[in-house]
Amino acid sequence: MAVLEVIGIKKTYTSRFGTNRVEALKSVSFRVESGEFVAIMGESGSGKTTLLNILAALDRPTGGTVVLDGLNLANIKESSIAQFRRDNLGFVFQDFNLLDTFTVEDNIYLPLVLSGTPYREMQDRLRPIAMRLGIPGVLKKYPYEISGGQKQRAAVARAMITDPKLILADEPTGALDSRSSDDLLRLFSEVNGLGQTILMVTHSVKAASVAKRVLFIKDGEVFHQLYRGENTNEQFYQRISDTLTMTATGGEVK
Amino acid sequence: MIYLKLAFDGIRKNKRLYLPYILTCSMMTAVTYIVDYLHYSKTITEMRGGSIIQEILVLGNFVMAFFSCLFIFYTNSFLIRRRKKEFGLYNILGMGKKNLALIAVCETAVTAAISVFAGIFVGILFSKFTELILLNIIDLGVSYSFSVSWSAVIDVSLIFAGIFLLTLINSVRQVGTSSAINLLKSENLGEKPPRANWLLGLAGLILIGAAYYIAVTIVSPLDAIMAFFIAVLMVIAGTYMTMISGSVMICRLLQKLKRYYYRPNHFVSVSSMAFRMKRNGAGLASICILSTMVLVMISSTSTLYFGEEKALSVRYPREINSEIIMQNIDGLDYETLTPLKEIIDGFSKDMGASVENVVDYRMVSAAGLLFDDGTVDTDAGAYRTASDFGGVVKRLYQFYFVPLEDYNRVCKKSETLGGGEAMAFGINRDITQSELSFIDGSDLKIVKTLDAFPITGDMTVDLTPAIVLVVKDLKEAVGGLAGLANYIGDSRINPTWIYGFDTGLDPERQFELTGKLWEKLASLDKDAYMIYSRSLSGREDSRREFLELYGGLFFLGIILSATFIFAAVLIIYYKQLSEGYEDCSRFGIMKKVGMTDADIRKSINSQLLTVFFLPLGFAAMHLGFAFPLVKKLMTLFNLQDVSFYGVVTAVCLLVFALMYVLVYRITSHLYYDIVRGGKEL
Repeated sequence: MAVLEVIGIKKTYTSRFGTNRVEALKSVSFRVESGEFVAIMGESGSGKTTLLNILAALDRPTGGTVVLDGLNLANIKESSIAQFRRDNLGFVFQDFNLLDTFTVEDNIYLPLVLSGTPYREMQDRLRPIAMRLGIPGVLKKYPYEISGGQKQRAAVARAMITDPKLILADEPTGALDSRSSDDLLRLFSEVNGLGQTILMVTHSVKAASVAKRVLFIKDGEVFHQLYRGENTNEQFYQRISDTLTMTATGGEVK
Repeated sequence: MIYLKLAFDGIRKNKRLYLPYILTCSMMTAVTYIVDYLHYSKTITEMRGGSIIQEILVLGNFVMAFFSCLFIFYTNSFLIRRRKKEFGLYNILGMGKKNLALIAVCETAVTAAISVFAGIFVGILFSKFTELILLNIIDLGVSYSFSVSWSAVIDVSLIFAGIFLLTLINSVRQVGTSSAINLLKSENLGEKPPRANWLLGLAGLILIGAAYYIAVTIVSPLDAIMAFFIAVLMVIAGTYMTMISGSVMICRLLQKLKRYYYRPNHFVSVSSMAFRMKRNGAGLASICILSTMVLVMISSTSTLYFGEEKALSVRYPREINSEIIMQNIDGLDYETLTPLKEIIDGFSKDMGASVENVVDYRMVSAAGLLFDDGTVDTDAGAYRTASDFGGVVKRLYQFYFVPLEDYNRVCKKSETLGGGEAMAFGINRDITQSELSFIDGSDLKIVKTLDAFPITGDMTVDLTPAIVLVVKDLKEAVGGLAGLANYIGDSRINPTWIYGFDTGLDPERQFELTGKLWEKLASLDKDAYMIYSRSLSGREDSRREFLELYGGLFFLGIILSATFIFAAVLIIYYKQLSEGYEDCSRFGIMKKVGMTDADIRKSINSQLLTVFFLPLGFAAMHLGFAFPLVKKLMTLFNLQDVSFYGVVTAVCLLVFALMYVLVYRITSHLYYDIVRGGKEL
């Protein structure tokens, strides 16, 4: 069953006086099945972030439809979009986006508190997640008292605690050193192994190589995709890397 | 030159911060100029009581300068915080600390120049205007000439140059002591989560409590002056301590209440308040103190001004009032007084006055120390070298002996008394003794305590406690005291004849009569009439003096209140502005996590409401407890009408609260706009 269905998404930015039109996304279509781990790759300016913003319902497309769990995003009222986002999507950002006014624990609770979940239930939900992510020791600390890797794990915990249909990750390893990156990516595979659907936007080959499928975007279009199949991470890494080289040198794929 | 350009650029790029800052500084300059201008104003010097007002204005000037200094420092700290980042960038790009200091110098010079010029310009424009208002409040005609007071211009320029120099030193110090990286990060550097400081919070509460206790238990108006200053200092210190650490304490407690804390609209506001309460607390305390000052000032000065008629009729019960002290107690016999009375009546009638509504009674006043057992020693001078002088002063009472005959006549009563008996009325303090025993005088048994006595004239301005004793026979009650002298050789008792009447004349002729009658009294042969000293006061005469004094106070109250309100509004504005910028990214994150605009608005409202109405609530509480104290102080100004003061205070509080709500609405919009501006991913 498809968790996410993207059909012919278009996004055109117009400058203030309508003199300049930039097509960020021309026509993007793809499906994400339940339990998949999809990476979207592309260079800067290829429209990755625009796509993610549209999927997150933070921005509206100029054309095309996004269907999340059978629901057309265009049909959701502006007023209930935040609620929808809270209930169905989890976010992991490059710069963590933890609030420095809250302890780690309270940061993780934030989406649940907004939904009015009782404290007892929040505690019950947090315990297993914190154990899995290895952060029980830092729950009472403030974000600036912990390391980057711990911050990102806290952010993952925040994304997971609502038990979302889909986790959207925007360059999750972008601000991490290589060891923390490896840890995080392993974590993502594990979480995915438990059935969590993940969509990750990245330009890191290493990050993409842990996904089950990689979509390549260029000039506002999906121009290629790779399935992991039976490949190991290293083999998949090589294939992704080759594809990127070919794209860059202008060679034909396949 | 490059520095000047950079300075100008910096100011232009940070308009949103600099504009209100420059506005603040120019307003402060303008108000200080106006107060200073009035202090130098010839028009005011020339009017009656003008010198008193100008003396008060010197005080006002001092307060203004002090307050401007504090306040400009406070607002400047916001600027430094935001400018540090830019300085850090320049530093990394290769500018040394010296160059940065030069930019800071240029920037301060530019803002100072603009502020002081604009301020003095506005001040000059408005100074004549305020002078007209003042004279109008005081009820005098004025010349409409326009003038600039160069002495005031120089004063104000010097004061503000000094203040700006101080802010400059402060910014240079801050930039100089931090590294480039720290400068760059300074804006994002969150404050450490505050640990609740129980000791400080508790001490603050105790201070406030103690100040309240002083205010409520104060008995004599004379003590009130001293107590007022002590209580004010305690309340200021206590408020700062309580708001700074007490508010953190409360937030921490709220966070422990899981049920309360983990609600959508409390969660965000409580945590962000706890996080920056230390700074927030200082701002809140300032707002609270300013509000309290405004309320106390406005309510008391307007009560004085609008209660002036009432105070006048208390102090001067008749249009013409005379108090004549006789050489000895025999002077109070009617054989002596009747000729005097005829002279006054005859003279007044010749000038067209109808002598009516006469008040006419005799009394003997004496000062003495009252001991707990009822012993009274009228030889107070003997204690002047006592080691326990403070304790002696507290026992000092004024005694007024009034013959029963006069009391019954004036009060239209028909009381009877036996020899050695007295009816008593306490002024400023209740009577606890049941019997008074005057050394060298007589023993008086107090058979009745009077609920009221038509105290008039000088009795109303008594600062010490006093007791009126209505006795059967004056000479018998005063007894041996009559012949005794005090340590400087004066008589220990003052036999006084009080005589007053209404004239039925218009104010101008009353004024004239008072003057002429005084000349007549002064020309009388003292020994022939057994006069020791005499005083005469016309109500109309005094009304003019009252108006000038109270009008001046009222005016000063308005000017200072306006300034303080303005300062409070700016503090609020700055708070909202700086917190808005800080919260902008925070709410951006929350939106991504799934917070709706409605949620944000709700959380902002809950936060703003608490933060806004806490100081107002505190100010109202302070005002409530200051009430008895200020009331006592007001009696020094002849204002006995408590309910009138109560009404005025309530009205002031109401008006102030309305204005406060208005400011709240405007600034919360500003805050919301800033926060909403940051919605990009």
